[in-house]
Amino acid sequence: MLLAPQAAWAKPIAFADGTTVMHERNTNMLETQAFYAPAYWWSLGPGFVRLTSDDKRTRRDIGYVQFNVLAKRWNLPAAQGNLFAFAGAGTVRSTQAGVPGARRDAVWRYGGQGDYETRSIYTSFKVDGYKAAAFSHRITTAQLGVAPYEHDYEDLATWFLLQARHYTGGLRERSPGVRRIEETLLLRLFKGPVWAELGVNRERHTQFMIMYNF
Amino acid sequence: MNPSVIPALVLLAALVPTAVQAKTIRIEVDGLVCAFCAQGIEKKMKAQPATDKVFVSLEKKVVAVSLKPGQDIADDKLKAEITDAGYVVKGIRRSDESLDDIRKHVKAQK
Ligand SMILES: [Cu+2]
Repeated sequence: MLLAPQAAWAKPIAFADGTTVMHERNTNMLETQAFYAPAYWWSLGPGFVRLTSDDKRTRRDIGYVQFNVLAKRWNLPAAQGNLFAFAGAGTVRSTQAGVPGARRDAVWRYGGQGDYETRSIYTSFKVDGYKAAAFSHRITTAQLGVAPYEHDYEDLATWFLLQARHYTGGLRERSPGVRRIEETLLLRLFKGPVWAELGVNRERHTQFMIMYNF
Repeated sequence: MNPSVIPALVLLAALVPTAVQAKTIRIEVDGLVCAFCAQGIEKKMKAQPATDKVFVSLEKKVVAVSLKPGQDIADDKLKAEITDAGYVVKGIRRSDESLDDIRKHVKAQK
């Protein structure tokens, strides 16, 4: 089983003239990204993701450059909705236990995200795709979150989220005894420019993420 | 009217707005839901030369800007900056309250 790249909750564009740096890891995945947004509706930046299978036999190192665009935003009196699309290109270096050497391919990234949030409810839906000559994966993520209290700008924000994820392209279904849909419980905290997230899935694998905006 | 008085009146007219100038601008904004919205708007407002300090309340959907003495930011400019940040301006009000007073009022109303 390979675990999903990229945190689904995070917006690929934080704010105009803003830079977002993100790092996330769990037992199967490690990812680092940096995006700069010249305007509120687009951002661009490099990323690196390492995917490792459960049995540690397959490893994929993907380096890429990604372009994100805010296709639509709804600003409501007490809520906000967004539609993002993104695309990227890079190279992937795959290694397989028992197979000497490494295979290099071009890889394409594509996807989209929709979200709707108030100060006490958060929902998002995201599709993340990777396409290379040797593989193709699509990862679909849905999140539903609630805040036990409504934070203001200077406060610590606390969120509890349920996440469901579905994988295609042999990422998950090839491992026996593993659910096809991964369910994860997440605790999200943010204050000032720092956003941190801790989670655990049904297989008791933990995940951790930290993001900084400036 | 004595023509020699006119320059004096023009000068007076130019001085009057300065004398009653607002200390702070209160902007009502739609779409403010999280700290990152606030951070983006704060950054935009702080970049204005006339801005002294910025206070953002998600609860009241308010962005308050205190002005440097004798300076101001035109409504059109404020609207353009908030729109550029990705949000919608619902109203702009000027007042003589200090930023700290506005902050206190907002916190007291919680
Ligand atoms: Cu926000």
